Amino acid sequence: MRSIIKASVATLTATTILAGAAFADGHAKLSGELNITSDMSNPAPRAVMERLAAQFDEKHPNLTVNLTVVDREAWKTQIRNSLSANAPDVVNWYAANRMGPYVSAGLFEDISDVWAEPAFEALASTKGAMTIDGKQWGVPYTYYQWGIYYREDIFKELGLSEPATFDEEMANCAKIVESGRKCYTIGSKFLWTAGGWFDYMNMRTNGFDFHMELAQGSVEWTDERVRETFSNWRKLIDMGAFVDDHQNYSWQEALPFMVKGEATAYLMGNFAVAPLREAGLTDDQLGFYQFPLIADVPQGEDAPTDTFHIPSGAMNKDAAREFLRFVTSEAVQSDINGNELGQLPVNSASSVADDKFITKGFDMLSNNAKGGVAQFFDRDFPAEMASAGMEGLQEFMVFPDNLDDILARLEETRARVYK
Amino acid sequence: MFPTPIERKSRSYQMAYQGLLPMVLIMWLLPLIAVAVFSIRPDADFTNGNYWGIPSSFNFFENYGKVFFESDMPRYLLNSVLITVPTVLGTIALSAMTGFALGIYKFKGNLLIFFMFIAGNFVPFQILMVPVRDLTVNMNLYDTKTGLILFHIAFQTGFCTLFMRNFIRALPFPLIEAARVEGVREWQIFLYVVLPLMKPALAALAVLIFTFIWNDYFWAVVLTQGPDAQPVTAGITAFNSQYRAAYHLMSAGSIVAALPPVLMFFLMQKHFIAGLTLGAVK
Repeated sequence: MRSIIKASVATLTATTILAGAAFADGHAKLSGELNITSDMSNPAPRAVMERLAAQFDEKHPNLTVNLTVVDREAWKTQIRNSLSANAPDVVNWYAANRMGPYVSAGLFEDISDVWAEPAFEALASTKGAMTIDGKQWGVPYTYYQWGIYYREDIFKELGLSEPATFDEEMANCAKIVESGRKCYTIGSKFLWTAGGWFDYMNMRTNGFDFHMELAQGSVEWTDERVRETFSNWRKLIDMGAFVDDHQNYSWQEALPFMVKGEATAYLMGNFAVAPLREAGLTDDQLGFYQFPLIADVPQGEDAPTDTFHIPSGAMNKDAAREFLRFVTSEAVQSDINGNELGQLPVNSASSVADDKFITKGFDMLSNNAKGGVAQFFDRDFPAEMASAGMEGLQEFMVFPDNLDDILARLEETRARVYK
Repeated sequence: MFPTPIERKSRSYQMAYQGLLPMVLIMWLLPLIAVAVFSIRPDADFTNGNYWGIPSSFNFFENYGKVFFESDMPRYLLNSVLITVPTVLGTIALSAMTGFALGIYKFKGNLLIFFMFIAGNFVPFQILMVPVRDLTVNMNLYDTKTGLILFHIAFQTGFCTLFMRNFIRALPFPLIEAARVEGVREWQIFLYVVLPLMKPALAALAVLIFTFIWNDYFWAVVLTQGPDAQPVTAGITAFNSQYRAAYHLMSAGSIVAALPPVLMFFLMQKHFIAGLTLGAVK
């Protein structure tokens, strides 16, 4: 009985997909219900999501859009349940490895057909992050850049300029340390901030592709190339570049060093700008530069991407596909990222907010991230590897001499996790 | 056995005591003071590293205004009330009856049942986390107030039964015998003879259970999620946005959340202390 239903649903969806393809220019008469489950539960994103649902509902008079907003943290544990039983038509999730488990379990719909449409060429910068096994499994709707935020006024005072290479970076840092300051603030209490440093050190030392191989478990942690990453990183640690006792601070608790000028830079995501501005730093005092080059490899960048997916068990895949086209369209992207979200639009044709850091980040990711866009350590590496990994990275930052131990331990974890 | 009263000690001892007491008191209260002061700070104070200094501006109305009018706090508070009050009523009602049965009637297995109630108290509740969560999911009670209430009632009844049974045991038994001779039915004895005598115990337990349940965080996190069912203790974290923790709002929220049990304590202080000592001395 069940299989009969399944089969008939399958044929039904097959026919509707064909029908959908026939109206691929997006003016299909959509009908029925579209159930969206979203994890955009914080006030501003929630308003965005509610508006999107309402607009889409209005555009398609025969379609009823039902929106359920779930708490963002809770969704991380609910998603599997939700996808397998009584699946909605559209859900929120994250790009790259984070969607891997659901792709391999067959819970996400392959939407390569949507990506093949000409309109999706504008989304090229994030296509890699949405691709597993050569197929695309969802669309992004927002992302933000990582990079080095620094005190422009202190750089001026010391006569420094934005470094483009690691040697320049170290020369700068030597002068900063000499002036009695620290080069970088960081709070590694909750570990992930150290993951950001490793991402960049590794992507710059060995390139984006190597970093991804490591994330996917095909390279050993004890590999000589990984050691090189750590030895580059160690150069900074040995200089005393990082603030002392950083293992006791959260990322927010590390902000005061930057505000007071006791440390001059912070490798962080763009969300750090808002509290720094609130604390009284002006745009003249605060600058941004891309993480400097180490080896001659195309730059990979961390730019965590939030996404929409269609569960394979969705009932109204036609409408769901149209919704994905809608949220990634130029106008919607300009609107939501430019206003409430304050992040980067995924559509390269979209306009960006008139903000120094947003424009810089957009330019960097659109033109200067030839290596690829990574999702951040704890999203690229499988959960278990990531948590062991970040512990190791923090330990390395505090006790760099333990490196052999740490790498042996991570290698052990790797052998277990990627079986 | 008891320490010598302070007024009988030497003068220098008394002065040292009087000098040290306020200092220790302040140290003891320091975390609470920090939270109270943080609740009137602007957010920028945190980013500026101004944790202990004077707030850079007085944001009492802004912060508390946000807590009450721009967040789900009122809903979480209401949830707390809707969870705590039925739990208190339910446990008190049940344990009064079990206490009556175990305290008055002599039957086989009386002691065994009584021990089982007590034994339940010795099970560390963290052990029950996974099975209870699965149970509520299977009963479709996950993420509902009902689920939380039922579980709290079940778990608190053990302790309350011990309390009630001992209290009833201490009542003069001839009262009940006299009633029986008069031909009063058993349920009437419970309702009209025993229950009125139990008023102090009922009040004490009610206050105690109220604070227990209101302050519960563990089960609130395990069994509920989101503003539909979560009580205020768990809801405070809702002030954290995706990237940033709003410490000033969390502080204000914590103060608000702590008020009802504190009020309860001051209004019912007599019963509260009675509750803690009742049954301790016979």
